[in-house]
Amino acid sequence: MTIAHTEDVSVEVFKAGYLPGLRNDQVRWKRLQLGTPKDALTVEVPELSTDQIKTLASRIRQASRAHLKSWPASDIIRTIDTAIARLLDAQDPYRQALERLLPRATGFDSDMVRLGLNSYLQTFRALQLQRFVTEDFANPKLLDEFQPRPKGGWSKAIGPDLLVHVWAGNVPALPLWSFVSGLLVKAGSIGKVASAEPIFASLFARLLAEVEPRWADCFAAVWWQGGDDVVERCVFAEADVVLAYGGNAALQAMQDRMPVTTRFLPHGHKLSFGMVSKAALSVIRGQTTARAAALDVARWDQQGCYSPHVFYVQRGGPVQPLEFAQRLSSELAALASKFARRSLTLEEAASVASWRKHHEFESLRQAGHRVQGDASQAFTVVYADAPQPLLPSPLNRCMLVVAVDVLQDVMPLIEPQRAYLQTVGLAAAPEELLALGEALGQAGVTRICALGSMTSPEAGWHHDGRFSLLDLVRMVDIDQSAELAAERFTPYEL
Amino acid sequence: MADGSTSSEDTTRELLTFIALPAVSDEAFNDLALRIFARQFALNLPYQRFCQMRGKTPRLVKSWRDIPAVPIDAFKEFTLSCIPAEDCERVFMTSGTTRGDVKGRHHHPNLAVYDASMLRHFSEHFMQSDARLPMGILFPTETLMQNSSLAHYLGLAVQHFGSADSAYFLDQSGLRTDALCAALQKAEQSKQPFALLGASYSFVHLMDELQARGLSFALPQGSRILDTGGFKGQSRDIPMDDFYAQLSATFGIDRRQCINMYGMTELSTQFYDAGNRSVPSVKRGPHWLRSRVLDPMTGQEVARGERGILAHTDLANFNSVTTILTEDVGVASDDGFVLLGRAQGAEAKGCSLAVEDFLKAARG
Repeated sequence: MTIAHTEDVSVEVFKAGYLPGLRNDQVRWKRLQLGTPKDALTVEVPELSTDQIKTLASRIRQASRAHLKSWPASDIIRTIDTAIARLLDAQDPYRQALERLLPRATGFDSDMVRLGLNSYLQTFRALQLQRFVTEDFANPKLLDEFQPRPKGGWSKAIGPDLLVHVWAGNVPALPLWSFVSGLLVKAGSIGKVASAEPIFASLFARLLAEVEPRWADCFAAVWWQGGDDVVERCVFAEADVVLAYGGNAALQAMQDRMPVTTRFLPHGHKLSFGMVSKAALSVIRGQTTARAAALDVARWDQQGCYSPHVFYVQRGGPVQPLEFAQRLSSELAALASKFARRSLTLEEAASVASWRKHHEFESLRQAGHRVQGDASQAFTVVYADAPQPLLPSPLNRCMLVVAVDVLQDVMPLIEPQRAYLQTVGLAAAPEELLALGEALGQAGVTRICALGSMTSPEAGWHHDGRFSLLDLVRMVDIDQSAELAAERFTPYEL
Repeated sequence: MADGSTSSEDTTRELLTFIALPAVSDEAFNDLALRIFARQFALNLPYQRFCQMRGKTPRLVKSWRDIPAVPIDAFKEFTLSCIPAEDCERVFMTSGTTRGDVKGRHHHPNLAVYDASMLRHFSEHFMQSDARLPMGILFPTETLMQNSSLAHYLGLAVQHFGSADSAYFLDQSGLRTDALCAALQKAEQSKQPFALLGASYSFVHLMDELQARGLSFALPQGSRILDTGGFKGQSRDIPMDDFYAQLSATFGIDRRQCINMYGMTELSTQFYDAGNRSVPSVKRGPHWLRSRVLDPMTGQEVARGERGILAHTDLANFNSVTTILTEDVGVASDDGFVLLGRAQGAEAKGCSLAVEDFLKAARG
């Protein structure tokens, strides 16, 4: 199977998608231009008719019954592990294709993509996947066969026949989470690749089919124009479960096209931030803390739902918040040469510039409000001495550092964003951890991690506070009454 | 030398002379721009601090291109005025559509310069060879919208260039479609050119209503349309083409006579195109207004033909700041710029929504 086609010498064309049962010439293709004008990447995405979608859905449902539903979860894990191992192998052609295509399509620095992929992929090895399953199923055999229950009776967890994914393209390889979750619950999958990053899911599907040919018909990677009423109604009507990432308006529109019998799992806009206790701001630790914070900002140029928008820093430590902001600047300057920032579109640049100017004006009004460095740098750190509410940054390494007296003071500042809160990168002493965890949890936060780990969620994390696998399955109970009744129908007498 | 000691009256007099000139040299523009900058630096304190933060003082700024450009957002957050705000004859406010309560405010010590600027440029680009035309205005009167620069602008148009039978067709009760249809029919029969002026969005409302009634007109040769403000939430190129096609079809006016005015509350001068036979069209300003297309990150002018953010230096802005940085995207052309729309993510603004709100309120 070809990984990427080259149609003429000057322009490489990547044909996205994975469409079992359909030949390329049976499908209408739409061209998308990705990357920058200087280094453009042409991608062709499939535009399927509703008939083609229905045929594809039926083929996937049948194949998943035959080749996923009947497999023990441990065999599925082994197969995924084989595929992941290949993606971690620098010599593997799929890995090489990812390293070549992802930076061009997304504009992210190639070293950032290479290292980011490694740390991401290693959370999908066999050991981590076992843990992933155990996180949701204390008894993983529930996925394989009926298991006795302590209350009496039997239960089994059955995955959807057809799980539809609507993927986002803000961070490369994002579809892997839900793709793997679907496989672990033995679901057939149709995933819509994002226009901004159609590469990873397409290649991963092809690789899986190569690693395990019996799975060739168990999934598809498709595309449609987001918001296409006819196609979305058709796809959602075929699905048992729809898992979608995107903006809230787009998700709302999807929900309006969803039959009430289809389970909808939306992952919308999120806001994440960091908190630094004075315990982490000793003369020696201050620099390490600032470095960890800078990594969270630089990785994926803040495009992730888990990327920080604001750092709240406690006063009173040997390294004061203003000095922390300065150290953050110098760490970001160092990272700017190690991992170059994406080149910004005019709109992104305008949005960064306007955020910067807003804070410059703010600094005229408030003593202690400072914009550090000049506009030519590939990052901006703004320091605020007065309390500031949690507001979205324009991303692309723009960070607001806000001084607070105690970290509990942060709670009212994040309160208005309750519905959007996700990750908090926290640098604090052990005795602060649970108290802050309690307050942040009450405020709406769903994940607290170490500063420096914000962009690397662990295997089996509760994405947006939900269960990655449990939310996908339906439990089937055989009540104790059925078991007891069955005992009455034996050929032998008791 | 204009500095803190120059009064509003002196500056006004000098500007009125400047505007009245047939054309000016680069040096003359630069000279006046730097003197007004020096005065604003001395008297407009938030602006002074903004300039100092950027290391730009009158001693260091030698070209109008180096005058620090103020983002239009600053008109919301600061009083940008050389004289106390309460001494100003008029304050124009932005419609503040998405940040609702926060409105940009533009302080005018007098309206002499604003009016002279408007009249001179409007006369050339819209009136062309006509002294007066019967005008139909699709916008509320200045009395109804006292803080709207567009209401004042249209008031000037009617007062100075409208013939006696000109009329407003939008008031508290909404669009007066019947009266307007009667006026249009009368114009058709009279064979006298007619001018329709208003917010772009009002034209959309009007055309919807005419379509519902199955009405269209063939206005006499020489009739023309002026629309301004765009329509919120629509991409600019394709709907714009439809908009002018529909305007032309509904009123029987050549697209070359469908003129778009690009203006903003934060300026005292407007831009016009020479009709919209094809879109997007080139917008042009007069000799007291110069525009640049900037890279938002560096603030430097982009290479010719590249997209950038528009910055305008309007000498008629003698009291606030001459140089503003917009949120509009454009490309430079030989004698102006092509307006491509608003930078994505930037706050939608403009008079259009004011009218939209007005109509909504009128409908109850």
